[in-house]
Amino acid sequence: MRYMLTLAETPDSVAAPIDRFEALFAHFYAELYGLIYRVLGERMATEDILQDAFLKLAHDRVVQERPDPEVGAWLRRVGLNLAFNRIRGERRARARLERVGRLELRDTDQPTDSPASVLVRLEDQAEVRRALAEVPERQRECLLLRHSGYSYAEIAATLGVAVGSVGVLLARAEQAFRATYRRHIQP
Amino acid sequence: MSILSTTCPDVGAWRAWLDREEHAPDLTLHLDSCAACQRLVDDLRHNAAVASDAVHSISATRLPSAAEIAIARERLAWRERQPVAAQPAPIPQETTPVFLSRISTPWRVAASGIAAALLVSLVVAFTTEGRTAAAAFLAQFRSQQVAAIEVSPQSQAEIMRTMNTLGNLGTIKSGSATSARPGALRLDSPKQVTLAEAAQQVGFPILTPDPATLPTGMDRTPRVEVMPAQQFSFSFDKTKAADYFRSTGRINVTVPDKFDGATLVVSMPAAVLLQYGGQGNRDALMIGQAGELVVDVQGKVSLDEMRDFLLSLPGLPKETTDQLRLIRNWNQTLPVPIPTDKINWKAETFKGAQGLLLNDNSGVGSAAIFQSGGHLYGLAGSMKASDLKRVADSLR
Repeated sequence: MRYMLTLAETPDSVAAPIDRFEALFAHFYAELYGLIYRVLGERMATEDILQDAFLKLAHDRVVQERPDPEVGAWLRRVGLNLAFNRIRGERRARARLERVGRLELRDTDQPTDSPASVLVRLEDQAEVRRALAEVPERQRECLLLRHSGYSYAEIAATLGVAVGSVGVLLARAEQAFRATYRRHIQP
Repeated sequence: MSILSTTCPDVGAWRAWLDREEHAPDLTLHLDSCAACQRLVDDLRHNAAVASDAVHSISATRLPSAAEIAIARERLAWRERQPVAAQPAPIPQETTPVFLSRISTPWRVAASGIAAALLVSLVVAFTTEGRTAAAAFLAQFRSQQVAAIEVSPQSQAEIMRTMNTLGNLGTIKSGSATSARPGALRLDSPKQVTLAEAAQQVGFPILTPDPATLPTGMDRTPRVEVMPAQQFSFSFDKTKAADYFRSTGRINVTVPDKFDGATLVVSMPAAVLLQYGGQGNRDALMIGQAGELVVDVQGKVSLDEMRDFLLSLPGLPKETTDQLRLIRNWNQTLPVPIPTDKINWKAETFKGAQGLLLNDNSGVGSAAIFQSGGHLYGLAGSMKASDLKRVADSLR
């Protein structure tokens, strides 16, 4: 049966032609994961949001036909909206859970470490996210995008603002964040 | 900011300048001569550093690998194939029970593993232990128990790639087992029925859980759906395979004539799905019940030859085939692929039958699968594994 064993050497490059959606998925998935993870801080939740975002894209042929930068902006906008909507929903649910004492631990997708250092790191991250949550929404998204490595043009396309407005939006976001964060870590 | 004069650049310009996104040549000159702007820029720089450090601290420790992206793509494809459910009526926020907001998680098992399960089921039907001669009817796999097959993200991606290769070597068909529509490449949609109608359609009594085991506040009346029996077949096509080998530069590969037309047929039985709760952010519990899954092989090739063929498909991971070979009663065991990076599992007894108890790594969602009395049962819900087991044990 040696003749069949040669199949194992089939290169990926000869697979079926990649269509537009496949290319977009491959191009933007990891990038969007990085952005949304910063918002949610949880791998599974991030994957769920990406699923929803790409499902929307799969159903929207018009968006798929746009140039890559526009599709990327669209995906970031949809992903951020879904993520923040999720946080808002979870915050309400969490408040209820805490009231009835049924809160359970969540996964963190963090490297293995001592329990104490993990706890400290998780608390630090929680403080960052709490501080971010108090920054006005548009500013918060601008700050996250910029410090996730996006250019002003990409931020402008994502938020639907003029490129010239990004600087002032970012400056205000960082100022608001710093003030809020300082209050959280030095109550 | 109030110290800015009308001749000074605005704060946005300075912030852009810090990021090298503002290229006006006179900004640097202005900064050299304006103490107010120097203080402003220092302040902006400090704010930016604080924000940068903070955002960096909440970044993912790693981005998804190529294998994980492939799995995500497969999961999305699986979701796309699902029928669009009617939009549930809006649920007033104040009446939403408190337990959970992540019902999608336990179904990740099915989403990422369902196609892999199909292939693995095919492969397990042709392991060494199954050497019996036959002509038109070569082998039969009949699920009577379940076994866990641990698959890593890399393995899942490899299995999916292997599945994709099948289409290059023959013809894949799926559709209703009863209508046997040729060429149908989609699964039939579930139909909503009563419990009595469901029992009549699938031919066995439908078990329901003891209401006392359901989470507080969960509606005790399930939504009942019947998924018609489905059939999946793969027919090896010598000409198509030869074309594929040629196109991939495998001009020396020859395929014996007897492989032409060899067919695997997987018959998935009709299934009933009971859904409790689950709309919006509420608690959810799903209980699936089905008959046995059956795999037939038809054609002129021997079992050994077909086994070699399946096990030599490109990319089928060794760790997976090794586990499959270790299953003793291979022709009575349904392998359940478990993505170990996301799912914890343990062998557990349900209603006196051996099965698997799964829970996702968050500890919020759980699932169970077992075979009892000739029927396969699967449960998934937004509850702890121990609570889900109580529900499973209470099925009557």
